[in-house]
Amino acid sequence: MTDIRISSLIKNAAVILVSLGLVASCSPNETGIVEDQPPASNDFDGGETIEILTTHWINSRDIGQGKGPITSQMLVESQSNYSDSWIQYGGDYANHRHSPIKALSPDNVKDLEFAWSLPTGTQGQFAVSPIVYDGIMYVTSSFNRLFAVDAKTGELYWRYDHPLPQDLRLCCGPANRGASIHGDTILMATLDAKLLAFNRLTGEKLWESEIIEYYKGFSATSAPLVVKNLAVIGVGGGEFGIRGFFDAYDIETGARVWRHYTVPAEGEPGYESWSGNSFETGGAPAWTIGAYDSELDLLYWTTGNPSPDWNGDARLGDNLFSDSVLAIDPDSGERKWYYQFTPHDVWDYDGNTHLFQVDLNQGESVTKALVQANRNGFFYAINRENGEFIRATSYMEQLNWAESMEQNGRPVVNPEAMPSEEPTMRVCPGALGGMNGSVSGSVNTSLNLAFLPVIESCQLMQKGISMHVEGQLFMGGLPVSVDGVSDESGETPSYGHITAMNYQTGEVAWRHYDAEPMLAGTLSTEGGLVFSGSQTGHAFALNAETGEEVWRARLGGGIRSQPIAYEIDGESYVAIASGNFGGISAFSGADTSIIPEGGQLYVFKLSRE
Amino acid sequence: MTLKKKLIIIFAGLSLLSCENDGANSSPADEYLNDSEALKRGRLLFVGTCAGYCHKLTPERSDAPYLFDCQWLHGGSDEEIYTVVTGGVSGTRMIAFGENFPEGAKDLWKIIAFLKSNRSTCS
Repeated sequence: MTDIRISSLIKNAAVILVSLGLVASCSPNETGIVEDQPPASNDFDGGETIEILTTHWINSRDIGQGKGPITSQMLVESQSNYSDSWIQYGGDYANHRHSPIKALSPDNVKDLEFAWSLPTGTQGQFAVSPIVYDGIMYVTSSFNRLFAVDAKTGELYWRYDHPLPQDLRLCCGPANRGASIHGDTILMATLDAKLLAFNRLTGEKLWESEIIEYYKGFSATSAPLVVKNLAVIGVGGGEFGIRGFFDAYDIETGARVWRHYTVPAEGEPGYESWSGNSFETGGAPAWTIGAYDSELDLLYWTTGNPSPDWNGDARLGDNLFSDSVLAIDPDSGERKWYYQFTPHDVWDYDGNTHLFQVDLNQGESVTKALVQANRNGFFYAINRENGEFIRATSYMEQLNWAESMEQNGRPVVNPEAMPSEEPTMRVCPGALGGMNGSVSGSVNTSLNLAFLPVIESCQLMQKGISMHVEGQLFMGGLPVSVDGVSDESGETPSYGHITAMNYQTGEVAWRHYDAEPMLAGTLSTEGGLVFSGSQTGHAFALNAETGEEVWRARLGGGIRSQPIAYEIDGESYVAIASGNFGGISAFSGADTSIIPEGGQLYVFKLSRE
Repeated sequence: MTLKKKLIIIFAGLSLLSCENDGANSSPADEYLNDSEALKRGRLLFVGTCAGYCHKLTPERSDAPYLFDCQWLHGGSDEEIYTVVTGGVSGTRMIAFGENFPEGAKDLWKIIAFLKSNRSTCS
């Protein structure tokens, strides 16, 4: 990587002009992948030689508001202390994605006005949850571009475009859901299964660690979770027959501290839940971010589907620890307890959806709980001290793969929902689930509500021959998206809604409907709002108490991102990224054929009176 | 060169020409078009490996091409399909499979036969 170190305004302008020229000659191909370019040397303005890599622009200006590095204690403290920032993917370790901003309310949200926007130059889903600290916003795009911009004006400070190989192993698009911050370090995981660290002010790369060889079927799309001095990151690859795991890396050095495999090896507990040698290709990827309870000092991580997805004939048994939540000692990586949501999954019901930490009132006592809208359609409550099952209720309007739930939290499967060579049953939810792990909900503890983006789309589950070759797709079947096909009236049976679940009771408080399945995250605010977006490209805000829509803006591209909010100089900002990936939209049953691709971040502002 | 040698060369040349003509008109997939078991295996392999989150059995919206119509991005002949599957398409989710099927190339030709037998009539 090469610095651009020029002090004068004139030189900066020259750099910008040269850079613009380079960008124009180095635009992404149709997939959004930028070809690796050789460094270009430019001698101008007094003979000073500047060497520029087109994929890495570094900042030398004095930026930010002078705040110091992020400490571990700051990450532990609640989001409520930092209305001027958004320093974790989930807002805080509880993953509530709840902003303490009160100024923005159902009464004045109509006054939100456009502030600035940022194009990514890439296609594919723009799934980011930006982070904001010290007046700087850090944004990751599809195909692993990383931008540092002025959170107030959108001015670009530095940018890194990760060079990617052409033969990535992606099941579901070139997503990245965000960066993480600790000390003065920004962290980003990549589609080719690497973890990168940058100086937050200059953008200089500090280190790069390969998580694993991507061509064996691996990728990484999540924001890392920072716990103490560690960055925890898991891998995707559940459609490639990987053996899943998540790692912890020393943020200072990039060295791996521990690895936790999500499929046990021979002789380890849980090995007996796999027939034959199926554990070797058992999947159980760990592709989304976890949660951390600093009081219990427990890290919670979730796992995805066993491989192959829709044919379980060669992996008889419960297939531990797929579709589970694991409680982990963050210092050692050792498992303390587990709970499996979907034993022997044959529907691709990853257990990877967003975990919320809440306090459940149970009679006279309060239970520390995890609640989660699982991809299998149930809204779970689990004791997060010991993993005991508390409750599961449907958060969907259509759920038929399970007939009931046993007292111990084991679902009773509807035998007709099992995949077959000639399926006839519409299985609900479909393979993308009732809520997908690629998006995150939010929680308002004042209202005891969790706000969930829900997909209502059922599918036929068809079984085929599965064959495993390292690095190649290993799915064993397919979900047939019958609900995405228009009927005689031109309507598609699939639809979506934002559902408010009362996590104290497990009951639905309200639903806000949309014509298409929901594939964007939600943001909750203390002022009583819920922000999200639709696949048809509309951002919207709802009254958190009633679900009534109180604001809407057309952003142009389908929305797959996780909105955030922050304050600067007493003014409130809401950031929502727009940009879709048609493949996953279609799998969800959505009709977004007239929605253009291309990523664009929009920031709205509520000005002071 | 003796007459005998000349005749051998002529016959050898005719023989090669004959092989080339056969190759231009048929492919190994054609052997399976009337074999119901082979077509079923081709379908199950397609369902289990190609269709999951990619090529659909019905014309659903997807970033991966629908393979039962007449629109081909990289050619629709049996040999061209074979080349795409074995070699992949750079910059897309279509990775190279080689001949890594349970029964090697035979299975790939059965998949192609399944596609061919269910394709729309193309003018």
